[in-house]
Amino acid sequence: MIEAELIEKKIAKDYGFFKFKLHKKLKSPDAGQFIMLKALDEPILAKPFSIYSYKNKNLTLFIKRVGRLTGKIFSSPIGETFYIRGPYGTPYIEKINKGRKYILIGGGSGIAPLNFFSELYPELVYKKLYGFREKYIRELFEEEEQSTLVIEEESGKTVVDIFREVYSEELGILACGPIPMLRNLPHDSYVSLESVMGCGIGTCKSCAVKTKEGIKMVCKDGPLFRKEEIQWEWI
Amino acid sequence: MGVDLSVEILGLTFKNPLVLASGPAGFGFELQQYLDISRIGAITLKTITLNPREGNAPPRLVDTHGGIINSIGLQNPGIKEFVRTIAPRLKNLKTIKIGSIAGFTTEEWKILGEEMDKIKEIKAIELDLSCPNVEGKRIWAKDEELTQEAIKAVRESTDRPIIAKLAPDVTDIVKVAKKAVNAGADALSIGNTIEAMKINIETGLPVLKLKTGGLSGPAIKPITLARVFRVAEALEVPIIGIGGVMNWQDALEYAMAGASLIGIGTAIMVDPQAPLEILHGIESFLRQKGIEKFEDIIGIAHRGGF
Repeated sequence: MIEAELIEKKIAKDYGFFKFKLHKKLKSPDAGQFIMLKALDEPILAKPFSIYSYKNKNLTLFIKRVGRLTGKIFSSPIGETFYIRGPYGTPYIEKINKGRKYILIGGGSGIAPLNFFSELYPELVYKKLYGFREKYIRELFEEEEQSTLVIEEESGKTVVDIFREVYSEELGILACGPIPMLRNLPHDSYVSLESVMGCGIGTCKSCAVKTKEGIKMVCKDGPLFRKEEIQWEWI
Repeated sequence: MGVDLSVEILGLTFKNPLVLASGPAGFGFELQQYLDISRIGAITLKTITLNPREGNAPPRLVDTHGGIINSIGLQNPGIKEFVRTIAPRLKNLKTIKIGSIAGFTTEEWKILGEEMDKIKEIKAIELDLSCPNVEGKRIWAKDEELTQEAIKAVRESTDRPIIAKLAPDVTDIVKVAKKAVNAGADALSIGNTIEAMKINIETGLPVLKLKTGGLSGPAIKPITLARVFRVAEALEVPIIGIGGVMNWQDALEYAMAGASLIGIGTAIMVDPQAPLEILHGIESFLRQKGIEKFEDIIGIAHRGGF
């Protein structure tokens, strides 16, 4: 595993940006891919995190505090060492139709891979919509990103409501976020799934998703799928 | 001084005592991109059942203190598809391949044994008698008569070495082990995951969709180690020790308790490269102790130690 030193963090309640300096380069990470990150001891397994940004061995993650590992990352001092391996998963660019421009719809920590996508493929991005419930999230984002934020507490509208107002059929849809958000999108959307993973490389069969072509693994076959290929009742 | 890590059991020479345990290594092909499998003593392939199985609905995995609980549910393509599409590719894995099967009835065990027997690349067959993750399935190894019945069925269908994978959480594992050997098992795998669960106190519901699963990882090592020790004390049979081996120290404990081979499961999920670090650690330890052959430390805890 690669040593990753925490060099910067910016936290607002349960969300935060965490920048790590890696001791070794990642092998050509692409948007939609994830890394497996582990603390030295507990919990046992490494957990998947989408890449928010990656430049010169600097890896930025956008994380929501949910469990033991994320709790540990939030409370760690600058200089703490973590361990990562990857990148894993199929890059979005290998799955999507490259002849369209996309609306990127993110919910919560699901904005991470979309941000990396917009960094690498700005020419394919029509508009970014980053949805959150509460307005405190604004303090985490720079001035130029403020207009991409859709905050329910401010407008009374969800990111999907806003999406419906701006969507037209020639646009592609690339989404990552909570399941209820993904379920509310049109059938031809590309949705990036989150799952409890064990190995991250397709062997342990923990992150199963039922599709029209049978069981697939979110880690290896995804994380991106066409919404219409997923058997949602299984999720 | 060179250290000889090889182990000779079941009429086979394993280049070192590490076995990738059934499950986390899949069929080896995906893992091969991240771990040079030719450097590992053997791989036990993912368990195959008679019919294809989707496995359980997610979530299938949860971390708990000192371990992880999984309820994958034997997701596999079934024996026909295994023979047709996976078996022909096995020669690309340059290590000893151990097949793993799980029957739901005695007849199924027999058929699975016969089908595995046709695959040249499979050098031994492990009977998964102890997976706790399938709804409504009998855990054969929790009943010594059933254990015997399954082993006899497979014994009649193949001359390959057969390995009975026993459950660690039984009243008297020595009793079950004796029955297994009497029924024709050539070796024993001790053990498997242990039935366990986790409840989300916010929702008040079990975390896993199947409600319970199997615990693996560091938490179970002392439990399984004791079972290996007791069986090795009572019986002259090769043992594959499996349960919570996360590092080389854990691996050595199993060998000293009497295991000829050591299975690595959860540690591969944490880091696919972990087996190589474990091997390196075993080798350095033996060198420091001035021991030339790994086989010399197998069961040393029964012989008064160093």
